[in-house]
Amino acid sequence: MTRVLGVGLLTGWGAGVAALPEEARSAAGERRIVPLATPALTAERFRRASRESLLGVAAVAAALRDSRLDRSAFAGPQTALVYVTAAAYAASNKGFIIAAGSPPYFPYTAPSAVPAEVAIEYGLTGGYVILVGGAAATVDALWQASVLLAAGRATLALVVAVETFEECADLWSRGRWTTPRPLVEAAACAVLAGDGEDLAYGPGEASTLEALATRRVGETLSCAPLVALALARAAGMPRACVTGQWRGRRAQIAVGT
Amino acid sequence: MAAVTPIAIVAAGVATPVGLDLETFWSALCTGVDGISAIERFRVDDLRVGRGGEIKKLRTPRDGGLPRCRASALLVLAAEDLRTRARLGADPARVAVVVGTALGGVEEGDRALAEGGVRAAVAGLYDSPAHALARRLRARGPVVTVSTACASGATAMGVGADLLAANAADLVVAGGYDVLCRFVMRGFDALRSLTRERVRPFDRRRSGLLLGEAAALVLMARDADGPRSRLGRLLGHASSSDGSHIAAPHPEGRGLEHAVRGALAAAGVGGAAVDFVSAHGTGTPLNDRIETAVLRRVLGPRAASVPVNSIKGALGHTMGAAATLEAIMCLLASRDGVVPGTAGYEEPDPTCDLDVRGATRAVRSRVSLSTSLGFGGCNAALVLEGAA
Repeated sequence: MTRVLGVGLLTGWGAGVAALPEEARSAAGERRIVPLATPALTAERFRRASRESLLGVAAVAAALRDSRLDRSAFAGPQTALVYVTAAAYAASNKGFIIAAGSPPYFPYTAPSAVPAEVAIEYGLTGGYVILVGGAAATVDALWQASVLLAAGRATLALVVAVETFEECADLWSRGRWTTPRPLVEAAACAVLAGDGEDLAYGPGEASTLEALATRRVGETLSCAPLVALALARAAGMPRACVTGQWRGRRAQIAVGT
Repeated sequence: MAAVTPIAIVAAGVATPVGLDLETFWSALCTGVDGISAIERFRVDDLRVGRGGEIKKLRTPRDGGLPRCRASALLVLAAEDLRTRARLGADPARVAVVVGTALGGVEEGDRALAEGGVRAAVAGLYDSPAHALARRLRARGPVVTVSTACASGATAMGVGADLLAANAADLVVAGGYDVLCRFVMRGFDALRSLTRERVRPFDRRRSGLLLGEAAALVLMARDADGPRSRLGRLLGHASSSDGSHIAAPHPEGRGLEHAVRGALAAAGVGGAAVDFVSAHGTGTPLNDRIETAVLRRVLGPRAASVPVNSIKGALGHTMGAAATLEAIMCLLASRDGVVPGTAGYEEPDPTCDLDVRGATRAVRSRVSLSTSLGFGGCNAALVLEGAA
């Protein structure tokens, strides 16, 4: 089966599961968005990088620490990278559309900018898939990573998710009647290994972990299933059934934690 | 690495600047129709380059009106074309939709910022067109949006094949799309990637790319389940990351080579089995030189004699649609025993010493290799087998 070696979790509440409140909604008070600070990555090559790209790089660093792996264990063609986001690209898109003076560097408007920075930073050259969608897409991402492991196309796989909301708060506020509150910015990374067997991937009902993650962290869109994995690991669960819902579709997958 | 299960490609549908159905598209490629024209749909007077592969008039589909979102409209037209050739005869819950895009509904996002409204804001999400397509097809299985930039159409077909192999779906409608819009024209114009001349893939005088818009879809099924009448099979696929630069390809094509070798291994064939290569072939000085180097390493001494083409001279670079269009072209080339010429190719470049021709020629190809690259160090390769 696919095993989780570690989960890096950064949210508007802080780093890791320990920073999460018991009830995100009450902890947020009147705030509709709980922002996540931009990581202080000072290397020259990050000069033009988007905030979401920096968050992706920081989430992988946190996952490295949690999995107790050295970055040298990741580098090369045997580590697959699967990135997922529902809307983190929107900030750069908006910046490019409305920019009057010097717009963002155009390649950073693409969803592929985040995993590109991750791949450059950690020397990842293996299987590479980028999905766009909310929590159900992250379940798909966990499955896709498992496929790459099962096929022998990777020995390690990273599933990275990033969501930001602050820059597009005006757009999100237009749909405030349909968007759960609070929207919590987050970046997360799960490190996976194993043979990809016994995944139970497919449609499913909401798991207790999904409900727990929503209660503890709030709405993080694509990051939610990775929050659930972090909670399962913190609780010492040997196996987690992770579910995620997006645009009327709920998907599930089971992984060892 | 184990070889993967071949996947049947049952049928295809397209909407392109040179034809709004499969056979018109194919005929145009083979007869050298030029899909590049002055862009009329939005303002380009402040850009260095105002030409591209623009579809001038969208037809009204038989099963309802066109969506306001142009990306969704192109997908609807491609899907309608697909459905004239094959039925989606499966439990709707077992029909998946997997589409790739570099830009999603970004034009709607632009509109949402200018005009307001919840609907436009939602349509601006990159996965909105895929969900609109799934609703139109009444598909209720997995709906997946892939965004590996200009390799998206290939990655989407790979993900679709994986869904079938894992028995997570019985039929998959897979492919890619992107629209020509002011957002992307501004972006590529700022990067100085667009040529003021003709697009000339692999030609000595090549000076850059032009963009185009299109949608391309294929219907995929497990090999054993698919009908006998089919376009061909996807034998193998692979993707990789360069891990070297946010926009430029790896200078030696390291990632592309890894993807090509991975796809061949997954197909269970070596470079010696490749009869034809559909190159990414953007017409930029760097891309075509890097691709040549990779093909020389992978194909060895045969590289100079394996037919290679690029269809981007005729259509422009259709981004998320490009790789699926090229995969379809590979299968049609096998079917009819001809390889379309590379529009714009006239003068050989010693650094691109592959068997590229400007004219359409007779080639008996069974196994094809299709290569794709994109921003963010995205690479993907497909190995296809024609039904003929």
